[in-house]
Amino acid sequence: MRSKWSTGSTFSNNMEEFQTGEETTFVVDEISTIIKESVEGAIGGNAYQHSRVNQWSTNVVEQCLSQLTKLGKPFKYIVTCIIMQKNGAGLQTASSCFWDNSTDGSCTVRWENKSMYCIVSVFGLAL
Amino acid sequence: MEDYQPNDEVSFNADEASNSVKECIESILGGVDYNQNKVNQWTASIVEHSLTQLVKQGKPFKYIVNCAVMQKSGAGLHTANSCYWDTTTDGNCTVRWENRTMYCVVCVFAVAVTL
Repeated sequence: MRSKWSTGSTFSNNMEEFQTGEETTFVVDEISTIIKESVEGAIGGNAYQHSRVNQWSTNVVEQCLSQLTKLGKPFKYIVTCIIMQKNGAGLQTASSCFWDNSTDGSCTVRWENKSMYCIVSVFGLAL
Repeated sequence: MEDYQPNDEVSFNADEASNSVKECIESILGGVDYNQNKVNQWTASIVEHSLTQLVKQGKPFKYIVNCAVMQKSGAGLHTANSCYWDTTTDGNCTVRWENRTMYCVVCVFAVAVTL
């Protein structure tokens, strides 16, 4: 297995080794759309509420994961979601992955409304 | 990875991972206050060092290390994870750390590699 370091959430595809078909690659655009729809559906139009945020973040990740598994691709998935109240605080996140650069990938979507930020990351690891 | 001899199935050891991540966080954030200019560097260092320590264990896993550093200012923060994997071999561990001025949450996900 070729392994490469990648810090941050960028996905690089080595075209010269690209032999697998569409079904076995991590398509960032497709995943990005799925995430946006899941977030909008779960928390769109709501203001930050401490008592509901637990349920919201659970809904976002579960909705994303069920849409991803419906794609039927040979991948394992990890979905993470961060919801933060807008209060002037600073938040920094970073990810580092040890995987196979030619088949695996990640996608991060940042969403916000007037009262909160929502950051969702999807990591896809080929089987 | 090329030297690994496949014998029994190995499962993820969350305690070991948790300890090595705690040491990484302590070495980078121990004794410092939240600094907007440096936080970018800090999170990158934490994930890279944690990943290096995990890979040194030489186990047949792919890893994802995620780190969030947040300034303490009364804001609410909630994180959730959902994973679609093989529950017998794969696993995760989350380490929460704080000091006077900031919180740090590091999540490690380990996915077994089928050789």
